[in-house]
Amino acid sequence: MISTPIEEGYFKIKGDGQPVLLGSYSPSSGNTYYPIRKLCPVTSEPVETVELPIEGELYSWTFVRMASIGSQSKKEGGGHGVGQVDLPCGTRIQTAISGELGDWEIGMKMKLALLPVKQDGDTQLCSYCFEPIK
Amino acid sequence: MSRDVYVAGVGMHPFMRNAPSGRDMYFTAAMETMKDAGIKFQEVGALYNGYIGGEMMEGVTFAKDLGLTNVPIVHVENASATGSCAFREAVNAVKGGECDIAMAVGYDDMIKHTRKRAIMAMADKPKIEQTILPAAFFAMWATRRMHEAGTTVETFAKIAAKNWNHARFNKYAQRQAANIVTPEEILASNEVSYPHTTKMACAAGGGAAGAVVVTKEIAQRLANGRPLVKVTGSQAKSEHYTDGHVFLGAVIGPEDLTRVTTQALYEEAGIGPDDVDLVHVHDAFPIEELMYYELMGFCGKGEGDRMVADGETSIGGRIPFSTDGGLTARGHPGGPTGLAQVWDAVTQLRGEADKRQVEGAQNAMIHMMGAGSICIMHMLQKEA
Repeated sequence: MISTPIEEGYFKIKGDGQPVLLGSYSPSSGNTYYPIRKLCPVTSEPVETVELPIEGELYSWTFVRMASIGSQSKKEGGGHGVGQVDLPCGTRIQTAISGELGDWEIGMKMKLALLPVKQDGDTQLCSYCFEPIK
Repeated sequence: MSRDVYVAGVGMHPFMRNAPSGRDMYFTAAMETMKDAGIKFQEVGALYNGYIGGEMMEGVTFAKDLGLTNVPIVHVENASATGSCAFREAVNAVKGGECDIAMAVGYDDMIKHTRKRAIMAMADKPKIEQTILPAAFFAMWATRRMHEAGTTVETFAKIAAKNWNHARFNKYAQRQAANIVTPEEILASNEVSYPHTTKMACAAGGGAAGAVVVTKEIAQRLANGRPLVKVTGSQAKSEHYTDGHVFLGAVIGPEDLTRVTTQALYEEAGIGPDDVDLVHVHDAFPIEELMYYELMGFCGKGEGDRMVADGETSIGGRIPFSTDGGLTARGHPGGPTGLAQVWDAVTQLRGEADKRQVEGAQNAMIHMMGAGSICIMHMLQKEA
C-alpha cells in the first residue's frame, strides 16, 4: 500500500517512509515557521521553503477524549494524544502525539512519524504525529 | 468625528442546550434589547448581526421580523469574539457619527450548527488544520502551567465551581445548579481533555443577546432614572509574533495577546487594574481565567493560584470574574457570548444584578478571544 499525505503542502514522505515537515525560513528575521508562510510574519520579507528537523522536545501535551482526525468517534482507549513539540530550529509544532495517557512527560525527546488516517483504494492517506523516542 | 458612546439597552434570550430556532432567539433578544433601551426598531441607524453558524444572509432575513426600514445591516463573524466584534462595530458607528443609535445582536446554536459541522468536516474531508481542537489547545496551557508553576487540578476545579455558583443567580445561564457546586463535583465529572473535565469546559448550546449603543444626548433622554453606562474603551487586536508561536489551529492566543490588548484598553480608558470592579473573560476552560488574572495585571506572574485560594475572584471578593457564570456556566453558544458579557456588565453597573450584584461597581472590563486569533476588549463605566 502506498502512503501519501492527506493534504499537500504540510509534509512529504521520503523514500524510507520517514515524514518530514515543510516550513519556511526567513533570512530577514532568522526565524523558521511551520507551516509554510507566504512572507515572514515579522518582517513581511520573502521566505524560503525548508525541511524541518524530525526530532524535538515535548513542550506540553494533553489527552483528548474526542474523535481524532478522520474519525467521528473516539478511538479505542477513549481518545488521542496532542502535544506541542519544540524543534531545534526554534519552531513549535502543534501536533498529534502517539501513546496513551501516562506516556508523556514535558521535556522528553520526540520524533516525527506517519499517522494513518484513512484508506482510499490502495492508498493509505496519512497525517503525521510525534512519538516518544524510547 | 469621535463622540462618547453609551450602552442604552441590553437583552437576552436564555442560553440553553435545547434551544429554539435561531430566528426565534434573534427576535426575542432584539426585542428585549430595544425594550430595555426604550426605542423602536425604526430608530436604529445601524445593525450588526453576529453569528458563526447559520446560512448566508440569515441575519438579514431574521431582521425582517423587526421591520423593513432601510437600515444598513452587516454580518460580523470573529469566532468566539463574534458578539464582542458586533458590539464594537456598533460602538464605532455611533462614535464615528454614522448614526446616533446602533444595535448589535448575536445568536448561535453551537450544537445544531457549529460543532456538528466541524465534526462532520473532520471525518469526511480531514484537514491537517483541524487536528488540534480548542479543548486540546487550552488543556496544553494547563499542563504546561502545572509543570511550570505547580498549579493543581484543584485550582482549576475551584475556578469552575465558582463560575457554576455565580450562574445560579443568572436566570439566563445554561447551567443552573440547584445546590452549591463543589470543586469535588467538578473533578468527579468526566474528563474531556486532561486535566480538564466536562464541568470545567464551557457549556455548548444555543442563545442570543443584544445591545443598543447611543450618543450621550440620547442616553440621557432614555435613562429613565437609571445610571448611564459609558463605553470608555474599545480595543481589538490580532496576533503579534512571540517565542513558540504556533500557526496551525486551533490557535487562540498567544497568551501575550491578552496582555497587550489589556494594556491598550487601560490606556484608552485612563484607568488601571486597581480601578476595575468586575471582569468578564473568555473562560472556555479555567486555565484561561487563571492566566488572565496575571496577564491583566490583577496579580503578579504565578500568583493567580493564591487569588483562587483566597476567593478574590468570587462575587464579594477583591475582583470578581465571570459574575454571570462565564463561558463555563452561563454558556458559550458562539455569536451571542460577547454580548451576554455586555448584558451582565451593564446590569451590574446599573445596580440591577440582584444576588449577583458587585457592590459599588463603577468599572467593568470585558474580554473575548476569537480562534484564529483575535482579542476584543471593552471597558464600561457607570456615570452618575
